[in-house]
Amino acid sequence: MSDKNDTNDTNGANDGAGWDDGFDTGLLEEELRQAAAVLDPLPPALLQSAVDAYALYDLDARVAELTFDSLVDAIPVRGATDVPRMLTFSAGGVTLDVEVSAQGLMGQVLPPQPARIEVLGGPRTTAALTADDMGRFAADTTPAGPFALRLRAGDEVVTTEWLRA
Amino acid sequence: MEHREVGALVRSAVDGDAAAWKAIVEGLGPLVWSVVRAHRLSDADAHEVCQTVWFRFAQHLGRIREPEKAGSWLASTARHECLKVHRNARRLMLTDDPHLLDRVSEDGSPEQSLLEAEEAEARSESVRRLWQEFEELGERCRQLLRVLIASPPPSYQEVSAALDIAVGSIGPLRQRCLRRLRARLEARGAT
Repeated sequence: MSDKNDTNDTNGANDGAGWDDGFDTGLLEEELRQAAAVLDPLPPALLQSAVDAYALYDLDARVAELTFDSLVDAIPVRGATDVPRMLTFSAGGVTLDVEVSAQGLMGQVLPPQPARIEVLGGPRTTAALTADDMGRFAADTTPAGPFALRLRAGDEVVTTEWLRA
Repeated sequence: MEHREVGALVRSAVDGDAAAWKAIVEGLGPLVWSVVRAHRLSDADAHEVCQTVWFRFAQHLGRIREPEKAGSWLASTARHECLKVHRNARRLMLTDDPHLLDRVSEDGSPEQSLLEAEEAEARSESVRRLWQEFEELGERCRQLLRVLIASPPPSYQEVSAALDIAVGSIGPLRQRCLRRLRARLEARGAT
C-alpha cells in the first residue's frame, strides 16, 4: 500500500519534538515506514479476507462471549503436553462448554437441550452438528484457523465469539 | 486514522454501508498487521490472528460502544490474541520443534519493477540494511517501532492499546529507539 504521508510532521506534531540530537527522527521513522511497506506489507489476501468479513456482521445474532479460556484462565498442568483447550461461552441463559483437542471438538449446551450447531470458519459453514437431548455434541475434526459456533435451539440463535483454535 | 473519521465510518458500516467497512479495513488493516508482526508471530499465526481480529470486529460491530476508538479496540484485541499464541506455543514447545521465526514478507518487493534496475538495487540494499538494523534492535524498541510505522501511522492511543504502554511514555521511548537505530546505522557506516 502506498502512503501519502510525505509530511514527516505527523509524529513530530504528536510529541512536539521531531528533531533530536541534530537529526530528524520523523525522517528516519518515515524511511522505516517505507521499508516496512516494501519488506513486510500487509498481504493482499489478508486485506481481502478482512473486507469479506463484513458478511459476518449480523445485527440480530446474539453473541455468546468467551467467559473462560483454559489458555488464559487455567493453571498449566506440569508435564502435560496435549491438554485440550477448554472454552466456555455465555449469552444470557445459554452456556456452551467446548473442548478442542487434536482429536476434534466436543461440547455441551447448558441447560441441556437439543440444538443444531454449525461450525463456522469465516463467512462459510464448515460442519453441521446436532446436540442430543443432553445438549452434547461432537465433531472429529479440529477447526483449522478462526472458528465460531452458531447454535440454534428453539427459536434462539446464538453465535460464539470468534476465536482461534 | 482520524478518530472522528473512524467513528463516522463505523457508524455507516453499522447501518449497512459496505464501502465504509472497506475504508475501515484499508485504514486500520495495516495497524492490525503491524501489531501482529510486532509480536513476532510466524506467517501462519499472523494470518490467523489477523483474521480472528477482523471476524470478531465484524461480529461486535453493532455493539462497539465508542466507534471513534475502533482502532484501539482492534489493536488491543490483536495484542491479546498474540499473547495467546505465545502461551500456546510455550505449552507445545515440549513436543513440537520450536518454530523458526519466519523471515520478512513472502511477497518480495513489488515496487522493484517500477524502478530503474540499478537505482533499485542501491535503494533496496539500503532499505534492507535499515530493516536488518531495525530487526536487531532490542525487543522493546523493535516492538514499539513496528507498530508506529504502520501506514497510515497509528495514533498514540492506538499504539498504547497495541502494546499496553502508557500514552505519555510513547514519545520519549520513540525518540530513544530511533536514536539507537540511527546510532547502529552510523556504526555500520550506512548513512
